[in-house]
Amino acid sequence: MDKNICVLIPVYNEGEVIRQVLSDVLKEYSNVICIDDGSRDNSQSEIKKTNAKLIVHPINLGQGAALQTGIDYALQDPKVEFFATFDADGQHELKDIKKLLDTLKSKKLDIALGSRFLGRAENMPWSKKVTLKMAIQFSNRTTGLKLTDTYNGMRVFNRKFAENLNIQGYDFTHAAEIIEKIALGNYKYAEVPVTIRYTEYSKSKGMPILNAINLGLDTLLNRISK
Amino acid sequence: MIIKVILIAAILVVFFWFLSNRSSLQVHAWQKIGVLLLSVIGIIVVISPEISNRMAHHLGVSRGADLLLYLLTLAFLFMTLNLYLKDKEERRRTVILARKVALLEAQLSKKND
Repeated sequence: MDKNICVLIPVYNEGEVIRQVLSDVLKEYSNVICIDDGSRDNSQSEIKKTNAKLIVHPINLGQGAALQTGIDYALQDPKVEFFATFDADGQHELKDIKKLLDTLKSKKLDIALGSRFLGRAENMPWSKKVTLKMAIQFSNRTTGLKLTDTYNGMRVFNRKFAENLNIQGYDFTHAAEIIEKIALGNYKYAEVPVTIRYTEYSKSKGMPILNAINLGLDTLLNRISK
Repeated sequence: MIIKVILIAAILVVFFWFLSNRSSLQVHAWQKIGVLLLSVIGIIVVISPEISNRMAHHLGVSRGADLLLYLLTLAFLFMTLNLYLKDKEERRRTVILARKVALLEAQLSKKND
């Protein structure tokens, strides 16, 4: 087991699936941090039944804030060299973490990004595909990076990137913010094919299309106001 | 006539309440000046409505009442923007606070382990 990698899992009302997801992740990785973002269901008690470290936001702040809290906590441990972000709803595949980590190490990258469009997206609803493709186009135009997937929760990055990240977008805008950081900081990055499995559960939890509009506007406003 | 007394009294009450209320969030000096100006203009317009008519003609608006409506709309938009920015700043602070609480709690439980 790699002691020098920490798996960060933001959790918001995932009581139904989180224990299963964690028991899988904990088989391969010992340092797993769950950041409960003010869930109102039984997520917290489910996480406590596992060996994952639990950090609790007293109120719901958004996924970006949860990730940053997890990163801040993990950075306190000097042994942690690599950080992986993983979704709590069970749509990521565990083996993909290793794939990203191996690529990061072999290519000496700062960050490896998962891409479902280079890999596979199983049972992806067409509406989701259309929104995502539009969001990706938008992000590529604004940041100048050429990526195939921008809103993928699966990433692995090194300590240097973690120390400089400091996410300000508290909700889903953090994904665009991370891409922007890569572009502005000239970090070495690569996309790695990953598999995303859409289940009925994850589809019901995913980002609604209307949110994509908010996201686009927010990203645009953030860029203008900088 | 009675309406004039009521309106002027109301303007004065709001004006003095605004200046004396120190418990609320910091009120900038320019905001105080703005309220002072608005109160003075308000009182003048209440006392002699013809002035607003004359000002309206000057600015190419046909009636004083219309001019007041336009100014009110502008003031409303400005206030909305102001509230939005304030809300955003409040949210930023709340996030910092809540994240700090979460991290402190996590560190405490780590020490107790």
